[in-house]
Amino acid sequence: MTTPPVYFECRNITYHYPKTDRLIFKDLNCRLRPHGFHGLFGTSGVGKSTLAEIIAGEISAESGELTGKPSATILYSSNMERLPGWSSVGEHVAKVIPRRQTDRMEQLFSDFGLTACRNSRFSQLSLGQKNRINLIRYLLQEFDLLILDESLANVDEAMRERIIFNIKEMFPGKCFLYISHSLSEVSRFCDTILVLRSPDKTPPIIPINGLNIRQGESTDNSNLERIMLEIVHAA
Amino acid sequence: MLHRRISQFFFIYLLALGLLLLFKYIFNLSDYVIPGPLDIHHTATLFFSRYLRDGLNTLSVAVVGHVLAVILATLVAIIGSRGNLIGSLIKTAAYNLQAYPIVAVAPVIFILLGDGLVSRLLIAAMICYFPLLLSFIGILTEPVADIEHFYVITGRMRWQLEVKIRAFENIGKLSTVIAGSATLAMVGTIVAEFIGANAGIGYSLRIALYQSNIAKVLVALFLIGIFNSLYLTLLEGIGYLVLKKLKIQNGVMS
Repeated sequence: MTTPPVYFECRNITYHYPKTDRLIFKDLNCRLRPHGFHGLFGTSGVGKSTLAEIIAGEISAESGELTGKPSATILYSSNMERLPGWSSVGEHVAKVIPRRQTDRMEQLFSDFGLTACRNSRFSQLSLGQKNRINLIRYLLQEFDLLILDESLANVDEAMRERIIFNIKEMFPGKCFLYISHSLSEVSRFCDTILVLRSPDKTPPIIPINGLNIRQGESTDNSNLERIMLEIVHAA
Repeated sequence: MLHRRISQFFFIYLLALGLLLLFKYIFNLSDYVIPGPLDIHHTATLFFSRYLRDGLNTLSVAVVGHVLAVILATLVAIIGSRGNLIGSLIKTAAYNLQAYPIVAVAPVIFILLGDGLVSRLLIAAMICYFPLLLSFIGILTEPVADIEHFYVITGRMRWQLEVKIRAFENIGKLSTVIAGSATLAMVGTIVAEFIGANAGIGYSLRIALYQSNIAKVLVALFLIGIFNSLYLTLLEGIGYLVLKKLKIQNGVMS
């Protein structure tokens, strides 16, 4: 049996919140495979976004090592982002993507149910629409790993499912790290689920294999329940 | 807006005038020290048109000085908001220089540049320049993280875009700061005229002071208040229209 290739690896990451004694990670180790839709799950405040920012290089760990594909582009997107208000969202997205992605942009606007919103300003949209627009502009960038931090918050369940299936179908060669609080969602759609635990628990992160279902595949409920229980016990 | 500001000014002016006259009658002061209502009315009739021209002269200098200060403060703040060495130097220099009273430098300006328009313009601009600069630097150095993040992480951020984002997001603050500094421009011009110029309402005030003519001073103060209210209202009106346009575009105006 061959070991699956590793795309990205964190070794012995330790991190405290700045100017506090609060330890978030101690000797955290995790790895991601090069392709696929992976998940990062954990209770609120456990440090999911912080870990994502460390992986994306937006903040530095106090100690430890991050290794991965050389010159890989890692993007981190979150549901807290806004688009500037001086142009419509359609104009903005068209301006910040490579020209060759225009067709794909049209398709994503349609698939994500946003065609009617493209002439609106960002502040005119609902929270779910804002998150979907933000996701589209990130999906159309050049990246190797895209971290989606609650990027589908405030989007209804059916649309979320449609979007995740779309992402898997349109970007099979890319790596995604999906941060969500929805246990069933990560269990159903994610390939590897990294369950982040509080720093007093060892190991601080546990990888669990998800169902990783794709468009047209049915969910094996007994398996889903088993995975969900595994995640709950791990967290 | 204009009606409210003018009526506020009238209220304050009449209140102050009333207190002055009350003071005169309580302490039985002579008309030489505080003129009576008829004397003030007589002076106003005689000097109103001349003081009106002087006031317009002062207002025009203040407006030009203010515009120059806004332009200069914008340019310097853009450079000062950069994280590089020049930016840091400008920022430090701005914080230190603003503590120095410009009025104290005014005699040097008059000696070097004479008592004409240039000196008045320079002092007016300098007096409102530093408060503008400090506010602009504050606004342009404060990141708008939720918008800028995308541009930074995708490598698209340029300084022009950064300035655009920060200015756009703080347009309300910028508008308030510019309108607020208009009073400083008026003050600067009047002070310059009072110290050493040869025209404007400040110059007329100086003459009135030499003549110990309080009635003339009161007429001049009345016109200064009116012109100041007009200029502030004009700037607030422009700011309101800009904000309204932006809010309509963003769909947040009812």
